[in-house]
Amino acid sequence: MNATRPQPVLSNAISTASATGRLHFANLRQRSLLTAKLRLVWVVVGFAFFALTAFVRIAQLGLGAQNPAEGAAGDGLAPPRAEITDRNGVPLARAFPAYSLWFDPKALGSKGLPLVKTPEEVARALVQIFPSEDYDDLLARLKAGKGTYLRRRVLPEEANKVFALGEPALEFPREIQRFYPQGTLAAHVLGFVDADGKGKLGMEAYLNARLTDKAHLSEPVALSIDSRAQGAMEDELAHEMLLTHAKGAAGIVLDVDTGEVIALASLPSFDPNRSDLADNDHVKNRATNEVYELGSTFKPFTIASAIEAGVVTDMAVRYPATPLKVDGYTIHDHESYGATLNVPETLIHSSNIVAAEIADKLGGQRLRDTMIALGMNQRANIELPAKGFPIWPRGDWPRLRTMTVGFGHGLAVTPLHLAQGYAALVNGGIWRPATLFKVDPAHASAGRRVFQASTSARIRQLLRLIVVDGTGRSANAPGYRVGGKTGTAEKAGSNGSGYKNKHAVIATFAAAFPMDKPRYVVIAMLDEPQANQSTSGQRTAAWNAAPVVGRVVPRIGPLLGVVPDGRRDVDVSDLTPLVANGEGE
Amino acid sequence: MFMTARRLRSMGWIATLVVCAALVMVLAFRVNALRSQVHQSQARIIALRQETMYLETEFETRANQQQLKAWNDVEFGYVAPTSAQYLDNERQLAAYAKPIEPDAPAPIRVASADDSVVAAAVFPAMVSPMTGKPTGAADNSAPAARPTHEAADAPAARSAGLATLSDRLGTVPHAATGTHKVGKDAKSKLAKAKPVKDKASKDKLAKGDKASGDKASGDKARHAVATRTVPSHDRSASGARLAGADTHRRAGVGHASGSPLIKLALKDAKTVK
Repeated sequence: MNATRPQPVLSNAISTASATGRLHFANLRQRSLLTAKLRLVWVVVGFAFFALTAFVRIAQLGLGAQNPAEGAAGDGLAPPRAEITDRNGVPLARAFPAYSLWFDPKALGSKGLPLVKTPEEVARALVQIFPSEDYDDLLARLKAGKGTYLRRRVLPEEANKVFALGEPALEFPREIQRFYPQGTLAAHVLGFVDADGKGKLGMEAYLNARLTDKAHLSEPVALSIDSRAQGAMEDELAHEMLLTHAKGAAGIVLDVDTGEVIALASLPSFDPNRSDLADNDHVKNRATNEVYELGSTFKPFTIASAIEAGVVTDMAVRYPATPLKVDGYTIHDHESYGATLNVPETLIHSSNIVAAEIADKLGGQRLRDTMIALGMNQRANIELPAKGFPIWPRGDWPRLRTMTVGFGHGLAVTPLHLAQGYAALVNGGIWRPATLFKVDPAHASAGRRVFQASTSARIRQLLRLIVVDGTGRSANAPGYRVGGKTGTAEKAGSNGSGYKNKHAVIATFAAAFPMDKPRYVVIAMLDEPQANQSTSGQRTAAWNAAPVVGRVVPRIGPLLGVVPDGRRDVDVSDLTPLVANGEGE
Repeated sequence: MFMTARRLRSMGWIATLVVCAALVMVLAFRVNALRSQVHQSQARIIALRQETMYLETEFETRANQQQLKAWNDVEFGYVAPTSAQYLDNERQLAAYAKPIEPDAPAPIRVASADDSVVAAAVFPAMVSPMTGKPTGAADNSAPAARPTHEAADAPAARSAGLATLSDRLGTVPHAATGTHKVGKDAKSKLAKAKPVKDKASKDKLAKGDKASGDKASGDKARHAVATRTVPSHDRSASGARLAGADTHRRAGVGHASGSPLIKLALKDAKTVK
């Protein structure tokens, strides 16, 4: 079979072979070219891929993670609630990881007793460490067997003592809480933060939205308060309160040109670190929330209003100073200072009778307009939520009302109203709203003009005279050119009518310094100071409130840029000859 | 052969690709390493800042107004400065100087009176014990070092019986300037040494002021500090005499070369020469 198979012709075979070989080569060449091209494409794609990857990476690094410091580190440092600082950057309120005391009944395992000792022993030991805690309440919580806070804020020393009890169930988780490094300082200005993180009272409440705004967490809010001046004011008020057994006290330092509140104190105070204790009477702000008849401190307003209206043109004109009967009431003076008094003597001796006469001459309408211009008919202009509404006599003022308002009765305002009024009296006559925010002097509120500059200058002389020769002598801090007016007003009954207790008085001293170019108004007020040895048996402002100002001014003056100078003073030479010596209230 | 070359070339391309990939990876790793370092640093910064905040808060709490007041009441008893303690200007300060009276103390002599002693005293102290070069010579912009050289040369030249440069030139003003400069140098050196004490006392005062919670501020307040340091001023005035004595003492040390450090310095200085 194989033999019969025709053999291929060689030539044919060669030609075929050469043809197929060429074809094969051609195919091979083509295929190789294709492969090469393909590989080239792959290489190009590979390079492109890597180039792209590298480029994307570079772009990512260059653009995406441009500033890692602002991201992670910034977030890590931003507190959950922004800080509050004083005008010099001293932190007054900040977020702080403080210890709290947590009872974990499962710390020793779910079986068996949660405590090593008996609950009674533990509760007793805890009460020894925290005397303000209630034994029965603690015992009930320890026996309940539920995880609970025993105390929200524990000091490190207290935590050590609790740790020494050797109870694993008592734990101290560190929680970021609001902390007030200065303790009770400016508590009424700051307020506090409750357990839910909401601001209560003071600037914590007013600024709640701003302080929790995520965009501004790391930016502290600067208040106008100067913690050193605040400390001095609180310290001196507390000292005087102790001496005179007063129920309370209030103090204000106000910048007369910007309306910034440099210090605002209300005593007794509370510790904002103990928000559980803050819910008591001490949270009442006597400086901005409580209204008082501030007595004789209003007389300069009456005189200024009378000078402004042209009722008083000559300081030498004498007015009768004998008891005055009006509508069945008799207006008395503290003492008799002679048959007649002129305006400087009226202020120096603080004569109710002459002040009433001048108010009468001025007329109810004009006095009322002045009081309205000084903002005495509305809540004080300040950011604090606690703002008392004045007891403002509505409608037209009858003659007797005009006369009583003329010497500071029948109109009850807060000490802050008084401070704002005095700022307008001495700063050239401009009333400005008070503020607790730091103000750039160039952008201070324009305010409104209440008195002419000449009236203000005359009042400055008169106020200085009161401190040099009159009832405010104990406020005369040497070199600080203090001027001011005392005021001692009997406290009205709770229903606002009648003065039942003659010994319950509000003693106020409203001052400004330095009187040649006033910078600050200082108000010191004592609520029901008692007469005792320390006040030479007196309870009038000359003996208790004025000395507070006399001690506060030298302490705060240099800190606030007022340098004492014994060779400078207000020129009162035109008024001095008009004054006979004497005392008054 | 052709295939091998092609293959080699493609292998080369692949190798290049692999190298590139490796480089990209290395880059990525390095970037990540650096990034984690940055994160670590950030975490550390956060931790440190928080630590600072804790400490600051603790300090603020322990040194709050009430606490300072309590300390002041018990320990220090500082009171606010009175108006008499403030001065307006230098003129007022000068008014405190007393006119010369018959039984007044002798006028104060300044420390630069004895030039040779000062000159000798200056040299060892001005040479760095490490380099043996004058301390001012490191930077050429310190011409103050030059008088020191002159001053240093002077005794050496004198001791060798040679005329000093100033002698040779015979220009009195130059010599005067030289010695004046030397005196100035010595004074400034002394001044550098002395005010440390003064500064410390001032700091102490300033701290005291702060502790009393009545830190003075403003321009005049600075004068207040000056007034409060009036005793120390007096001290520094009478201290000028002390400074003179001090110079002598220093000169003694310089001559005796008692300190091993100074010996070394002198040795080095000679070697350099």
